[in-house]
Amino acid sequence: MNRRLNVSILEVVGSPFCVASDDGQRVFERLQAALTQQASVTVSFRNVSNLTSAFLNSAIGQLYGIFSADEIRSRLRVTEIEPDDRALLKRVVQTARAYFQDPERFKRAAKDALA
Amino acid sequence: MRRALGPIRCDAAGFEALSSLAQSVEGLVFDKLVLDMSGVSWFDADMSAPFGALLHRTQKEFNEVELAGFPNAVEVILCRNGFLSQYGGQKLPDSFGTTVPYLHLALGDGRYFAEYVDQRLMQNPSIPRMSDGLRKKFLESVFELFSNAQVHSKSVAGVFSCGQHFPKKRRLVFTVSDLGVGIRENVERFTDRAFTDVEAIVWATHERNTTRTGPVPGGLGLKLLKEFVGLNGGRLQIVSGTGYWGLSGRSEEVKTLPAPLPGVTVSIDINTADEASYKLSTEIDAGDVF
Repeated sequence: MNRRLNVSILEVVGSPFCVASDDGQRVFERLQAALTQQASVTVSFRNVSNLTSAFLNSAIGQLYGIFSADEIRSRLRVTEIEPDDRALLKRVVQTARAYFQDPERFKRAAKDALA
Repeated sequence: MRRALGPIRCDAAGFEALSSLAQSVEGLVFDKLVLDMSGVSWFDADMSAPFGALLHRTQKEFNEVELAGFPNAVEVILCRNGFLSQYGGQKLPDSFGTTVPYLHLALGDGRYFAEYVDQRLMQNPSIPRMSDGLRKKFLESVFELFSNAQVHSKSVAGVFSCGQHFPKKRRLVFTVSDLGVGIRENVERFTDRAFTDVEAIVWATHERNTTRTGPVPGGLGLKLLKEFVGLNGGRLQIVSGTGYWGLSGRSEEVKTLPAPLPGVTVSIDINTADEASYKLSTEIDAGDVF
């Protein structure tokens, strides 16, 4: 059964200031549960006034450690997000994908750069 | 113990002066520290953050702290931003609306911090009218500062913050300090290599370098701050241990302080007259995010 779920960031966090990583963790847990149940999820950023990379890494970037990029692309959508916030999210996603493709990558690159 | 301070500006010399003070009170326990402030002809109000952190650490070792001999103008500034009310001074109204009050928060108070900054900074009619894009970028930069401390510092003492608006110079400064483990310890643990404090800060500011491990990725916070400051023509300063790193526009400067300043201090100084839109030249399609 292909269910569609709507998740409001504002409702989960309880504040328009979505800046703390622990608030992002609560969003992540909601999204993880839905995606694990094979649902398609629409994430609304309506009335969210501010975001940080720390929040988005917790909320969404973390999903790439559990689900494949293809799964996320096919079952996760965002709506009502400001263009610059969308751009920030895309950067978070790109960083997260690279991180989980090779978690040792950054560690190795850092060591090589110092050699 | 009695020590005298000189002028404290939010620059390498100011951080050097505070690090020297930190060194001189190292190991002070069950004692009294009297700071002679008569030579403090200037005190950048946002430096209340690292100064407050230092005094907090001193008091935690069961020392009494007394600040004496303030020049009147400096005392007024530090009464207006609420800093001196922590040391027996009075809280004066900020009639010019140029202060962002001194605050000491626990690491878990991120939501409260965001609301406080929004109210004191963004809702303050005395803070200059900035472009919407600049206002949002600055606010998010300040939030990134707090988030960085939350994620990396392990600071039991929490976070110390303060800001100041300079209307004639058209600058807005915000500084956040913690008393955590510092950048070098985190970087050395992650890379399993020895670093100086300066090298560790330089490493931390490079793209995608992050000491984050485990299920939550990271590595964008400081990069975003660097980008914003570069575009705005502002300044970003990071101090941890004996390491000082500064970015003015796109020009970087590093310095080794003579003594360590505990934890991490990050200060962002923006040009409020910046008319750049901070809008992307090409929009990202909603279907192209993932």
